[in-house]
Amino acid sequence: MSLNRELISRGFTDLDKSSRFLAAAELRDIPEDRLFAGLSHAANPDLALQSLVRLLAVQPEIGSLVQDDDGDPEALFRLLGASEALAEFLMRHPEHSDVVKVRTTAEPGRVDAGLLRTSLLQSVGADAGQPNPVAAVTGEEAYRALRTRYRRHLTELAIRDLSAASPTDFLPSVGQELADLAAAALEAALAVARKELEGTFPADEIAAVRLAVIGMGKCGAGELNYISDVDVIYVIEAEGLGEDTAVRIGTALAAGISRAVMSSGREPGLWEVDANLRPEGKDGPLVRTLDSHLSYYARWAQTWEFQALLKARPIAGDADLGARYAGAVSALVWTSSEREGFVESVQAMRRRVTENIPSHEVNRQLKLGAGGLRDVEFTVQLLQLVHGKVDDTLRTRATTSAIAALKTAGYIGRRDAEEFDRSYRFLRVLEHRIQLVQMRRTHLMPEDEASLKALAKSSGSSLLVTRPTAASLTEQWQQTKRQVRRLHESIFYRPLLNAAANLSADEVRLTPEAARARLAALGYVDPRGALRHIEALTTGISRRSALQRQLLPVLLDWLADGVDPDAGLLGFRRLSESLGETHWYLGMLRDSKAAAERLCHVLSSSRFITDLLEVSPESTKWLGSDKELLPLPFEVQWQEIQSKMSRHPAPKEAIRLIRLIRRREILRIAIADSSGLLRQEDVGPALADADRAAVLGALNVAEAEVYAGEQALTDVVVIAMGRQGGREITYGSDADVMYVHRPREGADPAAAQTQAERIVGQLRQLLQQPCTPPILAERVLEVDADLRPEGKQGPMVRSLESFREYYRRWSLVWESQALLRALPMAGNDKLAGEFLQLIDPLRYERNVTETDLREIRRLKARMESERLPRGADPSRHLKLGRGGLSDVEWLVQLLQLQHAREIPALRTTSTLEAMDAVEEHGLLPADDVATLRASWRLVSRIRAANTVWGGKQSDVVPSSRRDLEAVARWCGYGAGQGTQLEEDYLRLTRRSRAIFERYFYGYGD
Amino acid sequence: MDRQQEFVLRTIEERDVRFVRLWFTDVVGSLKSVALAPAEVEGAFEEGLGFDGSSIEGLARVFESDMLAQPDPSTFQILPWRGDKEQTSRMFCDILTPDGQPSSADPRGVLKRTLAKAADMGFTCYTHPEIEFYLLKSDELGPDGQPVPVDQAGYFDHVPGGVAQDFRRTAVAMLESVGISVEFSHHEAGPGQNEIDLRYADALQTADNIMTFRTVIKEVALTQNSYATFMPKPFSDHPGSGMHTHFSLFEGDTNAFFEAGAEFQLSKTARQFIAGILRHAPEFTAVTNQFVNSYKRLWGGGEAPSYLSWGHNNRSALVRVPLYKPNKGQSARIEYRGIDSATNPYLAYSVLLGAGLKGIEEGYDLPPGAEDDVWSLTAAERRAMGHDPLPASLHDAVRAMEDSELVAEILGEQVYENFLRNKRAEWHDYRIQVTPYELRRNLGIL
Repeated sequence: MSLNRELISRGFTDLDKSSRFLAAAELRDIPEDRLFAGLSHAANPDLALQSLVRLLAVQPEIGSLVQDDDGDPEALFRLLGASEALAEFLMRHPEHSDVVKVRTTAEPGRVDAGLLRTSLLQSVGADAGQPNPVAAVTGEEAYRALRTRYRRHLTELAIRDLSAASPTDFLPSVGQELADLAAAALEAALAVARKELEGTFPADEIAAVRLAVIGMGKCGAGELNYISDVDVIYVIEAEGLGEDTAVRIGTALAAGISRAVMSSGREPGLWEVDANLRPEGKDGPLVRTLDSHLSYYARWAQTWEFQALLKARPIAGDADLGARYAGAVSALVWTSSEREGFVESVQAMRRRVTENIPSHEVNRQLKLGAGGLRDVEFTVQLLQLVHGKVDDTLRTRATTSAIAALKTAGYIGRRDAEEFDRSYRFLRVLEHRIQLVQMRRTHLMPEDEASLKALAKSSGSSLLVTRPTAASLTEQWQQTKRQVRRLHESIFYRPLLNAAANLSADEVRLTPEAARARLAALGYVDPRGALRHIEALTTGISRRSALQRQLLPVLLDWLADGVDPDAGLLGFRRLSESLGETHWYLGMLRDSKAAAERLCHVLSSSRFITDLLEVSPESTKWLGSDKELLPLPFEVQWQEIQSKMSRHPAPKEAIRLIRLIRRREILRIAIADSSGLLRQEDVGPALADADRAAVLGALNVAEAEVYAGEQALTDVVVIAMGRQGGREITYGSDADVMYVHRPREGADPAAAQTQAERIVGQLRQLLQQPCTPPILAERVLEVDADLRPEGKQGPMVRSLESFREYYRRWSLVWESQALLRALPMAGNDKLAGEFLQLIDPLRYERNVTETDLREIRRLKARMESERLPRGADPSRHLKLGRGGLSDVEWLVQLLQLQHAREIPALRTTSTLEAMDAVEEHGLLPADDVATLRASWRLVSRIRAANTVWGGKQSDVVPSSRRDLEAVARWCGYGAGQGTQLEEDYLRLTRRSRAIFERYFYGYGD
Repeated sequence: MDRQQEFVLRTIEERDVRFVRLWFTDVVGSLKSVALAPAEVEGAFEEGLGFDGSSIEGLARVFESDMLAQPDPSTFQILPWRGDKEQTSRMFCDILTPDGQPSSADPRGVLKRTLAKAADMGFTCYTHPEIEFYLLKSDELGPDGQPVPVDQAGYFDHVPGGVAQDFRRTAVAMLESVGISVEFSHHEAGPGQNEIDLRYADALQTADNIMTFRTVIKEVALTQNSYATFMPKPFSDHPGSGMHTHFSLFEGDTNAFFEAGAEFQLSKTARQFIAGILRHAPEFTAVTNQFVNSYKRLWGGGEAPSYLSWGHNNRSALVRVPLYKPNKGQSARIEYRGIDSATNPYLAYSVLLGAGLKGIEEGYDLPPGAEDDVWSLTAAERRAMGHDPLPASLHDAVRAMEDSELVAEILGEQVYENFLRNKRAEWHDYRIQVTPYELRRNLGIL
């Protein structure tokens, strides 16, 4: 076998370099097979080989471990293969290389905290037996001794850790020992600081100051990383000494501790001693007396500070003082969930889990992000804080022990707890191994293949002979992340179900109080009501309740993301009750998570959709399929209507079915819209199609009804006007229309007119009158013919000839303008075509005179002052307000009137299409068109959102914060962006109003 | 409850404070005040104090009239003019919407937002105002239809036994006792006109101080049977009352306006800041000079700067770069001379600071400084040198502001709209007045 192949098969990656190192003089006495056997223990054989050669150069004696028959080099290779930083420590201090001369064990134990303390104190010549040990040495000499001793213990621990058959089992011991070792180092540093103060302060005064070091964060919890800041708080007490003096000495001691631990020196500092969690943070005094701490916490501290105290533990210095501190603050921690701002601070914690991850790190983060370490810690701490108030068995610091306690006390299910624990330990082991390599504070997975392979090896069992692949590690990590996410929901919410529903005794059960506390912390405003709904949804032995028990935990989480979780849950309950055991509903719950998530989203953010779903629960089915949510084309709706009409000739029955189809299609469009399946510009046409199908159906029914008793004398056509004609309507819009008829050959014109009027009257009644049985939650289609010639005074329907005559005699500019939006909606195609021929010259070929221009401006101005409802704020009125729909549309229509003759692209009923043409032909500067378009789109969107969120139509930008929030979400803003939407809306409409005034009224010309 | 809130409650207890006034400002800068009993203060800290915003100019829309005033405990002060017995105190408030969000319509909130933006760019902003005002015998007019000043002295005059001198002594003592440090005070050029300069402080505190200052000055005048006015131009023949303000930006402990060896020791940041102010000054003049009367000061001569120009120690320039000792880099600053004493300080400082920051953001170039006395140039010379005029009237200023995206962005859409609405109404009211001038000039001959 060539050397290269040999190296590859033994897990080397950097073949060139390793070949060179293999030829190094330092290795000449070592038989190759023994060397390779040893390197098989190394997580990263390339690294281990290089470190070995460098170590042999300064400590040749270590070679005997590898070459002698009775030598056991496993510890050496495990260490060198996993940590470059610790190998360098041995090179700096060859005298400590004896640490690798140990026999490894697959089931290592932990070194007692007392031993570590004694050892570190001895390193600086202090007597561990004294109550306040004082070092014998100071300055650089002391620091070097302390740090070297610390790193020796650290190396020993690393070897044990790397040799463990199950690193995850051993993990809590590692965290604890690292915390103990840090505590011992602080203790020794304090001894040095005491010594260093001699000469500055009288000896009796120094001795009188008792100082306790309280460990916070991971050190306090006894789950420290290999390398991490050590968070501390200093407490002092001095009998017979003025507080000033005591604080001065205490501060000097604390500063001395930091110096001994982390000042730069020949032996590098260990880690940051971070005292910023102290009262008042960076601005507060470094040390305080116990009383001063307590009075701060009693009066001034913020909620999060109590949450930080959850981890507080005395770790060094005066034990008695530390114990009194810990006793006093623990009471405060466990009542923090009653404090004002608790829910907010929980939400802030929750946000911290996922926010602020630089995008290039998202896929490498172990700590942050969904499924990361902080996600686990957040879940555990929240449950501790919520339930620890009444249950003191939860009052434990380390994450692993807290999970165990939550399991034992029944706040988390047994299996969930075990899986959660396993996931957490796995992630922590990865973190430890990654940090061990360079002793750097990092929480990012490595990217290169070699490091991933090494990580796969070092994080696995020491008994494993083969080398796992990088891919297998990545896969396992991804799985764990997903697992943590999934567990998150079932851990929070599943026990709520049991609380509500009294499930079997072996499952976790929360008391009602505990369940309510949990729901409130998660954003439900009415936890009592929510619990009742949960109970109703989950009790019983039906398949439905079994499935709902399964799914509800995650549903509750999705609902909690909406603006109104309480309403969402209520809506879900009603739906579920009316759907009962329908098989597809059960199937959807069982198989389609996406559908269920969509359902939760619409229920907690739209009253409009919830109301409609409640009366047509079968529509819930669509949620599972994007295809079903696509709006039905007009032709398909019309076919369905025709077949209904042929099977149900009775007018009342037929119209009822037609209106039900319209209601159904509107719901379909709303759901598709809210699920992001429709572009905004597709919503209007889809709604217009639904209205058109209904009007056409109604016209047919009306004609059939009228013609039934007499001869058919005429044909009627419905022409859509206004936004209906532009197919730019929103949910709940009216239909502006005009009616045209033409008497058939030989019919008496007067009789035909009467018949047409009866048909039209019938059509309106059919569409608007209540049906029996009633159509619940229907948005009745109001048809409005006020735009017809002569308005309310004119006949409801005119013959084509009468239109022709009218337009010949009168040619008002506003009528030309209104006709721009005319679009045949229902009725005889030929007649519709002739009507268009009649009006096209009026709307597209009008010569807009100065008089016309003046008239149209005056009309608009009068409308602005008269049409706006009394007391309405023009800057917030969507339709008629400043820069609202009407401003943009009138400007566009004026340009259409002026230029449609030479620019055919302007001959459209659609505002958006007309704006495109305006831009393309340079009628307005592109920037201005962009502003008008953006403003028109946002305003349209807000109108739709008003209806969809509140279930009622409103033309005003909401002012209540909650409504604003909901509307903002519908418009695509993130959570908490309501004010931003308001500001954007005001700005855009102000700008579009300025453009409107410039070009429509000619201001500033 | 935080530490400052605790301090306030304790002080109320210890000093036997009987009333706590909550102060806030409407859009034109009038001080609004509600009195609380001490027992209500704790609740106001926690939940804010509800009030009907619709009755306050520019604060709320009629249909959203519920607002909350949330006292800022760091502004707590005993008010000394109420004497030692039954003491009264005040705190400034932030205005919140009913759900506890900062109201977009609160002028103090506008300044906070602008300062937060400066902080995002790494700056803290310090200001130092020189406030001028007239001391009158009363608020009634004299027989000639003119206000009556308390004396006839001039610039820096010492008036033996004068009312003004007594007045300034008392006023300065009282200002100091409410924690407002006074740098300097002297008699100004007009009869009865005085100037008091406040020590520099961060911009929000300065604005709070100016609001307090106006109240203190008016209170002290009352105790001396006189009347103090901050009206921009009470006399046609005497100088108006300005509020020149010095601005400096700091990055940490370093003065960002200072650069040793540069022209006038002005850093690039300072030059861009000045350029921003000069470019946008016409747009924000409606804010810094917000009344019809303000334009009588701007265009009435007497040292008021009416043209866009800057200069090193040039008293005719709109922006002046004062002299300071070369080794005192920390005191590098620029002075804007356009503001008058009746401005809403929160909004005025917001627009100035916002315009300056815009200059820094966009890297504006600073035109050459004015070396001549800008007033003595001919109109053509001024035009040639780019010294365009500031708006000539409130109407012109409002029109300029209406076209300003920058001012809309700084003030936020709501304050912007409310302010413009108020000013349009003022111009409308003014325009229909027939003035004594017209009667005097026209009645006799037409």
